[in-house]
Amino acid sequence: MVVKWMASAALAVLAVQPAQVAAQEAPVQTVAAVPEFAPRADQSAEQGTEFRTLDEDVQDLKKQVLDLNRDLFLLEEELLFPSNTQTAVFVSMDVGEFFGLDSVELKIDGKDVANYLYTEREADALLKGGVQRLFIGNLKAGEHELVAVFTGQGPHARDYRRAASLVFEKGIGPKYIELTISDRESKQQPEFVVKEWE
Amino acid sequence: MTERMRARWGGAALAGLLAVAGTVSAATELEGQDAPDFVLKSVSGKNLRLSEYRGDVVMLSFWASWCGECRAQLEHLGAMRERYRDAGIELLAVSLDQSARQASEGSAGARYPVLHDAGGEVGRLYDVTTMPVMVLIDRGGVVREVFEGFRRGNDEQYLTEVRALLRE
Repeated sequence: MVVKWMASAALAVLAVQPAQVAAQEAPVQTVAAVPEFAPRADQSAEQGTEFRTLDEDVQDLKKQVLDLNRDLFLLEEELLFPSNTQTAVFVSMDVGEFFGLDSVELKIDGKDVANYLYTEREADALLKGGVQRLFIGNLKAGEHELVAVFTGQGPHARDYRRAASLVFEKGIGPKYIELTISDRESKQQPEFVVKEWE
Repeated sequence: MTERMRARWGGAALAGLLAVAGTVSAATELEGQDAPDFVLKSVSGKNLRLSEYRGDVVMLSFWASWCGECRAQLEHLGAMRERYRDAGIELLAVSLDQSARQASEGSAGARYPVLHDAGGEVGRLYDVTTMPVMVLIDRGGVVREVFEGFRRGNDEQYLTEVRALLRE
């Protein structure tokens, strides 16, 4: 009986002890946990707005840089080639059958001023209506002579070399000259014309 | 050693150092810069402009028909071009021979564009003072690496560099 009593007492002690240990180990939480972040939906909306603003700023800056670049380019041209001495020569093509352009050599007053080799892509661009500025420079007022030599493949895929010339008067104001290559159906030959823009 | 002798040896050493420093090619100074643009006629008769290859990795090789190392280099570069053609690579072989005929004969059977630098202008533009020279240009037209000469092991180096540029 004594043994039974001691066993019961021991069991009772053991039952109390874990409760006491549990009470010691488990602190009482009196303060509610505060979440570290704001609710997810609001935050992503704010971030989205911030990115859109940044993106707009970057686009604005890019546009400003491009505009500035363009203005500087125009200013550089005006400084290097003032309109009272500026002379520009352009090339255009209106031909498909009779001439495949390879190169153009340009001389003004006997001096070589331009020598351009055309790639397939560049020749195609001219055929599609592009106009190329072959030369820009400064000339004094007065009479000048321009000679353009065109090299390429003529009718029947034969090597072709032709020259065209123009004597022109450089006055006040810029001078623009166009070298045009076109088909002359009546003669089944290409035609090379040098003309001044009015 | 007297003071005079020391001064002479010092001067000679300095002169030697300057001479060695001076031999570093200006071609390598192009690294990191936009590749100077040019247009040349190929041996097949077409005019080819470097800037029209933007978007491709370009191996620009300067060579001559009398240069044995050049031929060895071109063989490797040609094989790389065939291997990686679909990944966007091109080889432009610029011949500095006196005549287009020499350039054509020296590159018989080549499947890549062979250009002839008739007046040596492009060679001067890239400051080519030794041969072969291979200029590696990235898709944006920037010179990334200049290789002068061709020695054993260079082909592995080319492969590593080209692969890196193709991955960009």
